[in-house]
Amino acid sequence: MSSQLDLALPETEVVVDRPWITLVWNDPINLMSYVTYVFMEYFKYDRAKAELLMMDVHEKGRAVVSNGTREEMERDVTAMHGYGLWATLKKDD
Amino acid sequence: MGGFSKSLTGRVILRVDEVEKGLLVSLADQVCEFVSPEPHGHSDPLAAIVGIDMDAEFPDDPAMARLFPDAYPDDPEAALDFRRFTQRSLQEAKLAHARTVLQSLSKSGEKVTLGAGDVPSWLGFLNDARLAIGTRIEITEDNHEELADLPEDDPRHGMFHVYDWLTYLQESLVQLLLP
Repeated sequence: MSSQLDLALPETEVVVDRPWITLVWNDPINLMSYVTYVFMEYFKYDRAKAELLMMDVHEKGRAVVSNGTREEMERDVTAMHGYGLWATLKKDD
Repeated sequence: MGGFSKSLTGRVILRVDEVEKGLLVSLADQVCEFVSPEPHGHSDPLAAIVGIDMDAEFPDDPAMARLFPDAYPDDPEAALDFRRFTQRSLQEAKLAHARTVLQSLSKSGEKVTLGAGDVPSWLGFLNDARLAIGTRIEITEDNHEELADLPEDDPRHGMFHVYDWLTYLQESLVQLLLP
């Protein structure tokens, strides 16, 4: 009865839309207020989201601040370095 | 201590005395020198025009490494490639910030009025200077008191007090900008 369904489609790779992430790491120099400001200014996050991410950086040592294609993440990391934040990118796993 | 404030017309103003102003000029000069890209010798001049620096390497200097960190900590090859394509432009952007600061400070008087477009440069410069000094004095989240209590003949004594003042200035500027 279900044979037709069992002849399933050939296995296809799941297309992952946003496979790369930008991480911002804690450091003892950048001010909490400045990090919040940068997240609002560059990513256009509202203050609540920017502060939440900043607190994650501060307390957990790092936070994922954006995701997207590798090119997009390289752009975000470059921008963060421009602001003086310690940022890296990697493939999300 | 002066710090940043807003005028009635919404302009950002920095109040500094002559000594503080001289200190900021000297710091901006040092940041200019510090972030300036090496003049290109045998590198491809066309590549330099579009911001590519095939000679870029991971910096030996810890303060430089802090200002220009690795983008791919677990992939040295990708990190170096990234550096070659981005570091020169970043250096030029930081240089432009410090030059804008010098421009603002070139006008006479103890009241420095920032042009609307100058604010990001001031913020960037203050942060770059703090990153460079903070890395040099090896600041951590726990050693502020220890650094503050250093004897006057310790070279880090003066640097810590400059760092502390820059922190105050940057905080006062960020507070004006946060909605």
